[in-house]
Amino acid sequence: MTPLLEVKNLTVRFARGRGQPLAAVDGVSFQLFPGEVLGIVGESGCGKSTVARAVTRLVDSSSGSIAVHGQDVTRVRGRRRRELYRHMQMVFQSPADSFDPRRTLGDGVGESLRNRGVSKKQAMAQARGLLEQCGLPASLAERYPHEVSGGQCQRAAIARALAIRPELLICDEATSALDVTVQQQILDLLDRCRREYAMAYLFICHDLALVERFCDRVLVMQAGRIVEQGTPEQVIGAPKQAYTRQLIESSLLFANY
Amino acid sequence: MSTQSGVTVRPSRARRNHTRARLCVFAALAAALLLASVFAEALCPYDPNAQNLAEALQAPSAAHPFGTDRYGRDMLSRVLIGAQTSISSALVLVAIIAIVGTLLGVSCGLSGGALDTVVMRLSDVCLAFPGLVFAMAIAAVLDGGIQNAVLALALVSWPKYARLARSQTLAIQHTDYLLAARLSGCSPPALLLRHILPNIAGPVLVTAVLDIGTMMMELAALSFLGLGALPPAAEWGSMMSDGRSMLQTYPWVVLTPGLAIFLSVALFHLLGDAVRDWLDPRSGQSGRRGRTHGQGENI
Repeated sequence: MTPLLEVKNLTVRFARGRGQPLAAVDGVSFQLFPGEVLGIVGESGCGKSTVARAVTRLVDSSSGSIAVHGQDVTRVRGRRRRELYRHMQMVFQSPADSFDPRRTLGDGVGESLRNRGVSKKQAMAQARGLLEQCGLPASLAERYPHEVSGGQCQRAAIARALAIRPELLICDEATSALDVTVQQQILDLLDRCRREYAMAYLFICHDLALVERFCDRVLVMQAGRIVEQGTPEQVIGAPKQAYTRQLIESSLLFANY
Repeated sequence: MSTQSGVTVRPSRARRNHTRARLCVFAALAAALLLASVFAEALCPYDPNAQNLAEALQAPSAAHPFGTDRYGRDMLSRVLIGAQTSISSALVLVAIIAIVGTLLGVSCGLSGGALDTVVMRLSDVCLAFPGLVFAMAIAAVLDGGIQNAVLALALVSWPKYARLARSQTLAIQHTDYLLAARLSGCSPPALLLRHILPNIAGPVLVTAVLDIGTMMMELAALSFLGLGALPPAAEWGSMMSDGRSMLQTYPWVVLTPGLAIFLSVALFHLLGDAVRDWLDPRSGQSGRRGRTHGQGENI
């Protein structure tokens, strides 16, 4: 089976003044199969989000390759890059900041449809439908991002990501900015979408408890490299690396392990 | 009975209403000024260019409320017609520099690299000279005429907008909502028109409104020096220049166009201030605008 997403030896370096460039991601390789949920955990600054941004071509990778359905997309630009976004969408960490403050939520949710030739009226109608699918009243389509709560905004962000039925949804700390009850609701929603649309997830998170419940496979990143990978039981139940143990120990929920 | 009981006023509410009222008043006055300049021909009591040497240099009277100049032309009519030249050329000038400067600044902010370096160094060159002196030199090379004065001022005043637009673009460039818009498949033009320009429009608008008055004054200054409107066309700056030797003997020849400049410049500055206060998120204005990214005053 061809993997949905195959990342080989991905390296992203950022120029850093006079000194050596900083390798935010350093030789990362992984595969993601259709319908699978792959978690990436690690402390802040370990390169998790940069992996997400490199995969979605929001930052350029310095070396290595990214392939979607076996097709190399490492250097695609312009129209071909926009084509790539039919396959993958992303949900950001900070819900309110991921919507244009001067446009309604309905505009934001329907935008990818509008960009693909759907009429304004139809896009708005579909956006209302998508908001309802994500458990929001359709009337929220006329509201502005600062008028709704963080949880509502994050649901709308998921609705926006679902609009063009991507096969891969990248959640970059999608639940971190929300309080626990809302977190649970968002996870339930993501879980439902996964079952209904057979979507694959790249689930970037620093919360090991969430990862254990939600993911099929887990990568542990430290300083831009993958230090350990396996099923959540293997990684969290029987960590091989000192770094992973340290992560688990710092997470209070796993005090019993 | 205590005078303090009964009524409480929420200070933020009171200030907000005041802000809006101020905006309305100044916008209405500015609109009236614009209308007066558009319909100046109909409002003129006399032909502004008709000479009548028998009535030269008459003091203000019922027949000539602003007096007459040395050729016996009615000053009120000339001030009204002068408004056409002064205001319309200031508006055209501000529109040119605001649009060109903003587009340049946004492209610099987005593309970076060589374009950014070249445009920003050019703007450094323009900012390194005193603006009006530089404009005088350019206007002198181009020859007189109000179009050339506008062109000269445009050549020295665009950097303010380019810098403002560039800094605003850099500030919002890496925000999540622009990334999300790219993920939604926005092409670069769509990104610019739908997301970037609306989000940087506030500060640019405020600067532009404040600049109308300034530019009106600089155009009047160029005309005063004989580098703007050519005689016999009526323009406030050149009218003051014509009459400057008569300030002590026939002061109305200088003071009436001067008063017109003073009032319109003050009006546009006050309007600019009112627009800024109205757009300021701290004034507690809720509604459709959302958060604005730092209102630019002077840079």
